[in-house]
Formats: sequence, C-alpha cells, structure tokens
Amino acid sequence: MAIRVILADDHPLTRAGLRDYIAKERDLVLVGEASDGDEAWDLIERERPDVALLDIRMPGENGVSLARRIKESSLPVIPVMLTSFDAQQYVMASLRAGARGYILKTVTPEELSRAIRVVARGGLYLDGEVARSIEDGDSAFESLSGREREVLLYAARGLSSKEIAKDLIISERTVQTHLASIYDKLGARNKTEAMLLALKYGIVALEELIE
Amino acid sequence: MRRHLLILLTVAIMIPSFAALVLGGIGLVQHERAMERVARSYVVDIAESVASRLDMSWSRTRSFPLNDRERFLRLRQVTWGLSIPGWVAVVDVNGTVLVSTADAEVLRLLWQKGIPVGSAIEVDSREGEKYTLAAFPAGDTGWYVVAAVSWDKLMGPMMRFNRWPILVGLIGFLGIVSVLALWKWLVAPLRVLGNEVSSLQLGKDIPQGDDPSAVFEIRRLRQVLEQLARGAVERAQLMKQYVGDIVRVQEEERSRIAREIHDGPLQDVTALIHQIRLSRMVKDPKNEDTRHLENAEDGAIHAVSEMRALCDELSPPWLDLGLSQALDELTERLSRHLGVEIPVEVDCDEELPADVTLSFFRVVQEAVHNSVRHGRASRVSLRLSCDNGKALLEIADDGTGFEPPGDFEELRVRGHRGLANMSERMSLIGGKLEVGSSDEGGTLIRCKWGPTSSSA
Repeated sequence: MAIRVILADDHPLTRAGLRDYIAKERDLVLVGEASDGDEAWDLIERERPDVALLDIRMPGENGVSLARRIKESSLPVIPVMLTSFDAQQYVMASLRAGARGYILKTVTPEELSRAIRVVARGGLYLDGEVARSIEDGDSAFESLSGREREVLLYAARGLSSKEIAKDLIISERTVQTHLASIYDKLGARNKTEAMLLALKYGIVALEELIE
Repeated sequence: MRRHLLILLTVAIMIPSFAALVLGGIGLVQHERAMERVARSYVVDIAESVASRLDMSWSRTRSFPLNDRERFLRLRQVTWGLSIPGWVAVVDVNGTVLVSTADAEVLRLLWQKGIPVGSAIEVDSREGEKYTLAAFPAGDTGWYVVAAVSWDKLMGPMMRFNRWPILVGLIGFLGIVSVLALWKWLVAPLRVLGNEVSSLQLGKDIPQGDDPSAVFEIRRLRQVLEQLARGAVERAQLMKQYVGDIVRVQEEERSRIAREIHDGPLQDVTALIHQIRLSRMVKDPKNEDTRHLENAEDGAIHAVSEMRALCDELSPPWLDLGLSQALDELTERLSRHLGVEIPVEVDCDEELPADVTLSFFRVVQEAVHNSVRHGRASRVSLRLSCDNGKALLEIADDGTGFEPPGDFEELRVRGHRGLANMSERMSLIGGKLEVGSSDEGGTLIRCKWGPTSSSA
C-alpha cells in the first residue's frame, strides 16, 4: 500500500519540485498540498496522511507548532520537517515537538523518498547536513558505556554539568570527561550534535531523549 | 602654599580689627596722659593761686592778732567764690583742715605724709578712686593749701574706659563670630559645591539645586549648575535614544534582509535545484547536457549555502527559539569556526523579551570573538541564569585578560568598538555590563538585566 503524503510549503516552485520528486516514486502518493499553516492543519485533519512534510516557516501556524498539535491531538500522522533552516537547535526543537524526520529542502529525490519510507516504518530520519552522517552500515563508532549513555540523556534534557553531577552523584569534572568521551566516540563536535548522532545511530531512542 | 579662602577672609577681618584696636589703645593712652597733665597743672594752679591770695591777705593783717573766728572768716574770704570741680583746703602743718570748700572730707582721707610740696601727684583713695592732688605752702603762714580733683568726677565716663580687656575680648568674639558666619554661609557651601562639581558626571548626575545655608551668590551658582547638568542629562538621554534607534533600525533592517533572502532568493534557488535534479533524472548520464546540469546544480547548492550563511550572519532565524537554544546554536557554531571550547551552562526557564535575547546574543558573539582574537583564549565558558525576571550572563575566558578601562567610551575613541558596543547593547535594554578578571586570569564579562539593574 502506498504511503500517503501531504506537502505544506508557501513557496509554489518548491512545492512543484518536491511534488515531482514524490510522483516519481510508486510507493508514495501525494494526497494534498497546502501553502500555509492553517491550510495544512485542515488538510491533515481531513486527509489523515501517513506522513506530513511541513515547512518550518510558513504564514499562519509554523511547522514546529503544527507537529506539536499533531502530537497533542494523537493523530496517526507522522510530521517531517522540510526546511531551509540548517540549525541543529531547530532539529532538537522539531524532535521535541514530535517530528520524526528533519530534511533540508536541498534534499535529493532519493533521500526524500528514503526519509519518507524510514519514518513511515516508525524510524527516525535526520538530514546528513544537520547531523553529519556516516555511511549506512558503517558502525565505526565505539559503543557508549552505560554511564556515558546516562550522561548523554541527562545532558539532552538540558541539564548543566553541575546538575548532572549532582543527580548522578559524581564530580563535575567526571561529567565533563564523560561528555568529551561521548563526543569523541560519536564524532560529534558539541552536545547537540552528539544527541543527534546518538539518535541516528539508535544509541538512544527519541522517546528517551525528549521525555 | 595653598591660600585657603577661610584663612584669607579671617586675616582680612582680623588685621583691620586689630589695627583699630591698637590705634584705639594708643589714642586712649595718649588721652589719659594729656588728661593727667591737665589735671596736674589745674590743681597746681589752683593751689598756687589760693596760696598766694592767702599769703597776701595774711600779710596785711599780720600786725594784729586774730582770734579763731576772725581767722576763720578771713580764710573763708580767701576761698570764697572759688567754683571748681574739685576741692581746696587750707591745712596746718599737722594736717588739720582749717578751712575748705564744700565736701572736702575726702581730702582728709587723701592727706598723708610724704606728699611733695609744690608739684602735683596722683593718689588713689582707699576705694580705688583716682585723684590728682597738689599742696602749696601759703607764704610764711605755716599753712598749706591743698587742691585736689577727682578723675571720676572731672573726666567721668571718659576715664572709665579702663575696661580694655573687655573691649579686646569683644572684638575677638565678634571676629570669631564673623569667621564662623563666613565658614557657614560662604566657605563650607563653596567647598561642598566644589566637591560636588569635581565628582559630577556630566550627563548622568544632577547636583542639588539649592543650598539654603549658602549666600545668595552660591545659591545662584548652584541653580545655574543644576540647569547645566539637567541640560547635559537631557542631551545624554537624547543621545542614548538616538543610538538606541540606530541599533534598533539596524537590527530590524538586518532581520528584514535576512528574511527576504530566506523567503525569496533562497527558496527560488532551492526550487531551481529541484528542477535541475528532475531534468537530470530523465537525461542520459553520458549526455553533454547532463554535465552542464550537474555544474548548474553544484552552483545552485553553493549559492544556497552562501545565502544561508549570509542570513545567519545578518540575523539568525534561530533567535526565535529563545535565548537558551540560540546560545547553544551560536556557541556550537563559534566553537566550530574558531576552534575554541565553549561550554554553556543555562539555568533559565523564563522567556526573556526578544530585545533582551538579541542583546545577550550579540554580546556573546562579540565577547567570544574578542576572547579569541585579542585574548588568544582556548576556552570561553558561558553561564546564564535567570531569577524572577532578572537575568545574569557571565562570559569567562582563559585568555591573556586585560586591564578593564574605566570608561568604555575611551576605548571607542581609541578605535576599539567591541566593548563599547557590548556595553551600549546592555544599556539600551536597561541592563549593565561589567568587565573584570576571570578565575583563570582571563577576562570576565558580566551582563545583568532586570528590573533592579534598569534603575541603576
């Protein structure tokens, strides 16, 4: 059965291109298009698509807030951000709001269809540009220790090193040593990237990370 | 030597007072001496003339003896009609008063042994009154004519000026009173005014407009000074407003341009990339056209990333996510570009106003660049905490540090705009920026914002 997709973007040319991307795939079907946030919400409620491709910046309601609304209404729709913003904080904000995918608009047709398939299967898809990806099947990273995983989860919740140290009853310096080791193992350059890569690699589940 | 006003004024008051006092004293002493001479010649004259009259009258009646009564009447004749401010008496060798003018009892008291004959002397009575007295022998009668004058009665009030110390004391007292008055109304208010003016920050402080204890001129001076200071404060506020407007307009403009780029050309080029990719899909990969399309795609992708970078530089869209996340994004990017470690600690659940977020963001941007560029820091730590609508941001580095300037404007004049700009950013949102030394010997920048700091 084909995966039903809607596309919300205020830019008609972008919509045209992406529409053609999707049309090329036999297992994907575009069931509707919206040019602003409010239209998108009506479409989502009416069509109940499997996947909703949402632009972050739109007139009316923005994409992140739409994703949150879908999550809050418990609709069986998977929000995926399709945006020009390459900031990692947007990825985190989108994931917290309930998005299961984050794709930049410069995406190739292959990547777009793969992303839609991955999230439709219940997976998580993050664009390579926002979380540097290692080629599929390449598991060159060392696995994190239990403590490191724990520290990463605490850090993901926005706790400072001091607070993590207090909660885990270890010294602040130890927390920082753990974090440095996590970055090193994942090839991350900072906390946000470490979280995104950990998600990508399936080291932590999204639910754990954004609880 | 510094010439203090009070000393000058004191001297100016004291010199004429003392001069007057000394002159007065000299005059008085001279006067007393003159009076003494007058009194002496007066009593000598009286005594002499009475003595000679007595002698003459006596020598005429010497041929026949007189009884006591006749002698008394004769003596009365001699002294009759003498109207003098003093006394005249005729005494015999034993000092017995034979005849005298009225109220001459006092002479008996003054009469004493050893009074020289023929010249005047000053004698003090037992009560302390001063008299000038002269005795003359009346020919060969064996009697003496004694004349005396009382200083008290003759010169009366004039000579009572023997209260010289009181006068000196009084003048001294008046001098002290006037010095005190000068101090209270002139010198002290002048000093207070001087101190206020020397510590006055023109454009910031307004001095007190009146000093009720000062003299009129100083009060007037104060009024003028207050008006000047008010004018300066108004100008400074206007200037601040003006700068604030410039910064605001600049930020608005930057964010408008960023938005236009993002919503316009960036989307257009993205759509262009889609179209190129779609047309490449239907082409034979070996075709010459495909190569051109590939080049076009690369160029378009490059344009997109350049435009994104431009947007981020002008006004990052992710500022909308709030300060905490904006700082995360900013520091992650800065640490990547500058190769420094930037740990961020955020303890802030409050939503700060957009202009505060923007100001803190710009300060961090500038501060991290400064730390790396000027302080050669390898680690810059950020700490943000909020509490009841107040926010505190601390930026500490491990760089070389520097001597914090007293005035940021001074730095601006010397061409270092960074700190001055940061400070201005904070002051525009009613916050404060402080510069100090970090624990690691580098620089510590502390930004405070909140209801209390705005009044400071």
